[in-house]
Amino acid sequence: MASVSIIITTHQRPDRLPAAIASAQSAGQDVEVIVVDDASTDETADLCASIKGIRYVRVERNQGVAGARNIGLVASRGEFISFLDDDDLRLPNSLDEQIEALSHAPAAMLCYAQAIPEDAGGKRQTPFPEHCPQGDIFWELLAQNFIPCASVVFRRSCIGRVGLLAQHRNRIDDWDLWLRIAEIFPVVGLSKPVVIWRQPTPTSAQGSSNTVELIALATTHFRHDCLRMPRVAQASRRERQQAWRAFSLNFAEHLAWEAFRGLCDHKLGRAFASTRTLLRLHPDAVLRVPRRWMRFSTINTLTRGLMRGDLENAKSKFKHMART
Amino acid sequence: MIIPTYERPLLLRRAVESAQAAGADIEVIVVDDASIDGTAAACQELNGIKYVRVERNQGVAGARNIGILMSTAEYVAFLDDDDLRLPGSLDMQADLLDRHPGAGFVCGAMIMANQDYEPTGEVVCAKDPGADAFWKLLELEFPVMPLCALIRKECFLRVGLLNPRISTIDDWDIFTRIAELYSVLVTPEPVGIYRQPTPQSGQGSSARAAQLERVTRHQLNLFRLPRAATASPVRRKQARSRMIRRISENLVWTATRRFIPKFQFKPALRNFWTALRIDPFGLIRPQGYEKLIKHLILRTGVIRRRTI
Repeated sequence: MASVSIIITTHQRPDRLPAAIASAQSAGQDVEVIVVDDASTDETADLCASIKGIRYVRVERNQGVAGARNIGLVASRGEFISFLDDDDLRLPNSLDEQIEALSHAPAAMLCYAQAIPEDAGGKRQTPFPEHCPQGDIFWELLAQNFIPCASVVFRRSCIGRVGLLAQHRNRIDDWDLWLRIAEIFPVVGLSKPVVIWRQPTPTSAQGSSNTVELIALATTHFRHDCLRMPRVAQASRRERQQAWRAFSLNFAEHLAWEAFRGLCDHKLGRAFASTRTLLRLHPDAVLRVPRRWMRFSTINTLTRGLMRGDLENAKSKFKHMART
Repeated sequence: MIIPTYERPLLLRRAVESAQAAGADIEVIVVDDASIDGTAAACQELNGIKYVRVERNQGVAGARNIGILMSTAEYVAFLDDDDLRLPGSLDMQADLLDRHPGAGFVCGAMIMANQDYEPTGEVVCAKDPGADAFWKLLELEFPVMPLCALIRKECFLRVGLLNPRISTIDDWDIFTRIAELYSVLVTPEPVGIYRQPTPQSGQGSSARAAQLERVTRHQLNLFRLPRAATASPVRRKQARSRMIRRISENLVWTATRRFIPKFQFKPALRNFWTALRIDPFGLIRPQGYEKLIKHLILRTGVIRRRTI
């Protein structure tokens, strides 16, 4: 029996898939690679038939990412599980290191690490997240999903205790699962990059409407499900308020940034959509976000970033500053 | 064999023992859906089971999914904690599936029993739908009970897991999705004992009308499955009208047979109202009362009655 199963979900991307599979196979000694083909209609099936040493599961009816991951879980046999998207890459031997870390902490169910974001041009940025808190990270995770999905290795047995991924929460299904695990069990964090995370081109309009949509989804999830989680429901009013404040400030910053970038790119529609969502979800953040932005050093960073035309870098610097 | 349980330790023991006697090589998985009573202790006393405790309540479908995840066998059967399996029934069904590799699940007959597990003399057995199982399921004319089915585990990998969002009709949904791609076997042998719930109270009955409405809505979603969506419009329309007629028939049936004799006019009215909304012309169509008339005169129906 393989000790770790790595589940690669794929849909209509045969060009990227072989690299992901190869990286997964070299990521550990005893790896079972499961490719879940979520009803692709192209040559993915033929491609997978030609690759040796993988388990190919074809789903006939499209299930979405969460559904496909669940099917991968059912098909898997390893003691540890890791998810990988078809366009991401695992770094060599990274799985073994994470399993080693987990074996030193028998109570912990989940180990996450850093991911290196890579944009469409192949340019790599600083690893995300900068700090990897360990132990009981539930409240931090509730404020923001800082765990890169592909970097996680978790024990298969914990799924039996917290439940499978929620299929109706596609796109934030991973955050939901990490929250449910972190609610009960301690978590191990490795400050070391284990995965390369290819991001869609940041300038395309689709990416940004996705951000707005994603934030709307996450907010619904927070209000409907997270606040009902036993640990949150039993917490004091103050703690609940703090959680909401941290969560809302984080997404408000994202939205404000999105609006700002829309303005810079002369895409007024985008800026307008972001602002509208921001006002709808969290009106008083409009007052709070600029207050943080008004600090001299922040403006300095932003303008310098803008002059160099390196928005992403400016953003990460800015966020770091805002936190300290 | 997967048994989801929630706060019923006494009944559970009986179900587990019946499951263990149902076949020679059986892995019994008890999924404890976050019970806070003595279920955990009761399960520790039971030998030869795999006990999975879910910390947060997942609902029946969620618990069944976790059971599927934890199982290692080739075939999967579900059993509720208050129902029973007959001895040897699983072996018999597994044998059938072995012989027909193209079949997705095999479904048997079910003995109805009262609260004390005494048979009421009624046996529910679906008529063999042949190659038409998918359409029969869409038309609601092929009653599959999760208790009497044995499912090939591979099916879940191809059609997806149970949908936890639609509680109470999740089984119907998965059987339809499996039947879309696989053939279905039916055996007239009884395989399980179904413990009927207590006679329905007024509240339960209005819940029933609401559920039938939910079924209709979901059933219309199932018409979007590729096999139904690509069928000829004539076939689709036929299946759709049959399905709707069947539901409205059922509503009228429960209203006239169950509620009006007990002078429960409120749920009866609600049923008529739902029937009217689903199928506006059903109430004035003589076919709508077919089942009722058949029952009164001929005493036959889709469900065959036999005495044991």
